[in-house]
Amino acid sequence: MPTEKADHRALAARLEQRVFAEPAETPPQLRQDMGRRAAGGPPIAPPYDDLARQIGAAAYRVTDAQMAAVRQLAGSDRAAFELVAAAAVGAALERWKAGLAAIDEASLP
Amino acid sequence: MRLAEIDRGDSLGNRLLIHFISLVSGMRLPDAARAAFYHRDFLGILGEWTQVAMRDPSQWSVGERELMAALVAKWNSCAFCVGAHRATSARGLTRATVDAALADYHTAPLPLGLIATLGFLEKLTRTPDDVSAADAAAVLQAGVTREALTDAVAVATVFGVITRHADTLKFALPTEAEFDKAADMLLRRGYA
Repeated sequence: MPTEKADHRALAARLEQRVFAEPAETPPQLRQDMGRRAAGGPPIAPPYDDLARQIGAAAYRVTDAQMAAVRQLAGSDRAAFELVAAAAVGAALERWKAGLAAIDEASLP
Repeated sequence: MRLAEIDRGDSLGNRLLIHFISLVSGMRLPDAARAAFYHRDFLGILGEWTQVAMRDPSQWSVGERELMAALVAKWNSCAFCVGAHRATSARGLTRATVDAALADYHTAPLPLGLIATLGFLEKLTRTPDDVSAADAAAVLQAGVTREALTDAVAVATVFGVITRHADTLKFALPTEAEFDKAADMLLRRGYA
């Protein structure tokens, strides 16, 4: 079996950089706000707040009304997709960082 | 709410690809694949990481990683991803083992290191603020290496994104037979 080591840390950093820092249809600041809110961060402006919080806490409970309000304000499917992705990535990378920190700090007796 | 542009594809090339794969496979291309094709300039990196996490060399087999994905989906109540990764995992681990793990992984016929790892992933998925170094140490004591545990956390992370997409964007739920066909595609073509 080949044993080349997957560089997850570099891939996570690239995902974070692309979703939250680089130019796209939506402003990076709004994507950062969505990501932080989905990871349990401070409230942001409506209607983004409701969607980001819901995606972070329990995405299966997201309603069409929550999504439609953001789609309307965002102005395009592409922009709405970026904001959904920002919330989803924010919630997931919070878990990635918590998991890595626990692994890095763990010591064996 | 579904986004029409994901459904139909956002370029002529993607529209043709969606049509072609649907034709060849004899089923509607699942929404997860349509979403992976969409706005690749923005989120193509997620597909790249998912491919590495799920298919690159690892101490976990492909079937074991697909089971981790199915369980992350269960903990996030994502029916689409449970169906997709239950079917794919069953190709490596048997349907009975996968269904036992989905019912209760603590008592399923799985290696002890995998059961300990799943416990870590469950806590990380449900209550990330409560995860501690002691939790990771317990998994290491079960014989799992740091590298293998990191590989598992990568699987949970990419599926933390994908399950949220599936539920927010209301991915259409294929039938069990269609999930089985899609499992062939996931094993043959991968995620990138």
